[in-house]
Amino acid sequence: MPVIQTTDLTKHFRKTRAVNGISFEVEEGQIFGFLGPNGSGKTTTIGMLLGIITPTRGSVSLFGGSGAAELHAARQRIGATLETPNFYPYLSGWDNLRIVANVKGKTKKEMEEVLDIVGLAKRKRTKFKAFSLGMKQRLALAATMLGDPELIILDEPANGLDPEGMREVRHVIQELAERGKTIFLSSHLLWEVERTCTHVAIIKEGEIIRQDSVKEITAETILAGLRSDDLPALRRMVESFPGTVSARVAEDTVVAELAEEDLAGLNHYLADRGVYVSHLALQQLTLEDVFMELTGAADDGMGEVA
Amino acid sequence: MSRPVALFRNEMLKTFKRLATWVTLGLFSFIVFMNFGDEYLGARKDPERTFALPDAWPKIFGDGAFVGLVFGTVLLILMVAGEFSWRTARQNVIDGLSKGRWYWAKTILIPMLAVVFIGELTVVGGFFAYLGTDASAVSGPLMGATQWAAIGGLMLGFMLLASMGFAAAMAIRSQGPAMAVWFFYIGFGERLLLGGLSQLGEWIRPALRFAPFSTVQGGLANYLQWDPVALQRATERAIEAERTPPEIWDGGTLLITAVAWLAFFVVGSFLWFRRRDL
Repeated sequence: MPVIQTTDLTKHFRKTRAVNGISFEVEEGQIFGFLGPNGSGKTTTIGMLLGIITPTRGSVSLFGGSGAAELHAARQRIGATLETPNFYPYLSGWDNLRIVANVKGKTKKEMEEVLDIVGLAKRKRTKFKAFSLGMKQRLALAATMLGDPELIILDEPANGLDPEGMREVRHVIQELAERGKTIFLSSHLLWEVERTCTHVAIIKEGEIIRQDSVKEITAETILAGLRSDDLPALRRMVESFPGTVSARVAEDTVVAELAEEDLAGLNHYLADRGVYVSHLALQQLTLEDVFMELTGAADDGMGEVA
Repeated sequence: MSRPVALFRNEMLKTFKRLATWVTLGLFSFIVFMNFGDEYLGARKDPERTFALPDAWPKIFGDGAFVGLVFGTVLLILMVAGEFSWRTARQNVIDGLSKGRWYWAKTILIPMLAVVFIGELTVVGGFFAYLGTDASAVSGPLMGATQWAAIGGLMLGFMLLASMGFAAAMAIRSQGPAMAVWFFYIGFGERLLLGGLSQLGEWIRPALRFAPFSTVQGGLANYLQWDPVALQRATERAIEAERTPPEIWDGGTLLITAVAWLAFFVVGSFLWFRRRDL
């Protein structure tokens, strides 16, 4: 039984189609990455999962239940944050967490535990408005974890964090995954998703354009990286090789997608035509490569997603 | 801890840990202390002036009540609209509250603020008036059923006008504009509206007194509505001065009208809130 299942989920805001008939499933224990450029419909989709946005069409099923009462009960088993950390700025971290604990029916001991996990125990009396962005994110993570939810939904949890903060968040997510939690993670930090997630769906303009395991997505394309003194000439020659699907220049390297893993044949072909390469090696396809190719993010000036 | 108790505690935490609450209460207290303190000192210096119980009650429940009503509603709008600007309403729902429970928990603030503001007015006004009272010279009680009825009327009036502010904050979801709409309505809007409606003909004029602000101003917050002795004196004075005697509402009609408006604003804004995304 999938933990999350959406069918033809659609949301229109007047004339804008924010989400357009998306269907996906998240199985128990998966760390599911939900990727897309800004404005692609990620947050609207999560809002519909969490019941704060009413779908125009389609359905959401959580833990197998899709009726109103079942969904409300299922949402008690979810911990989630949406967009920025949302707390009362004039209250301390502790008081903000008390409000969440009162809603969830949790104890002070449980509050202490989650504050310890995110490393905020010593700053719990500081007012939320005085927190750094990283501390705000960590408090949101603590609130999410309160009550030991089975499904954790995080929308851009690494936003505004420094590398150390990102590492900590990744560590917490992996720890949660090891404890058998299902995690639905929306992020635009592709390398973070690639390191953290087991499965991924890519959304663009309100439609899911690809979903699979991260391993499948990154392993199915054979890429070769080549370098020489004359990159444009090298690229033209690589493109003329019969086994080449496509070729592009990325910084000081020509990246070629090959139909088969035949590097020797490619090297031979180039040498026969008087082109000698200083570097030739198989390249692992990254999630970023797939994302860029599918969304055209670089062409659309959305390079920040990388 | 049961869910309703937990929600009540949350609302108390949000309200009484907010600086705006104490600033609003502090300003109101300052005005109330200055006003009644001045009445007390004035009565001590000038034998022509009196500020003693039970005759001081009409003064205590007079204009000061409207100041309390304005301060209380401003605070209510700040508390409600803030939940949308900080997106905490959305987060509360994400954390497991249903939209309905979130909404009804918020309505706790309406009677709570009525008790705080009208209570403070009564206690402070009553205290200063008591200081100037010679209890041995008073035959009846210093505070009787009449005053309790007046307090009840003020509380209901407070809740009615505060529920308008509450509905504005729920609909507009922004503190400044919600306050502006509320102030406009009680300051000019209703008068303009009634002026326009009265042009429709004589037949509509009797119905215009049932407008929400008129119900509060002319009925619930009118001390004469609750004190037959004060009403009789005011009527006699008006006849002597050849003025129109004061009119009061039929008690049952006033109560039904007030409760109907209160329900209209609270239930209406709930239905509107439930339909909208957070």
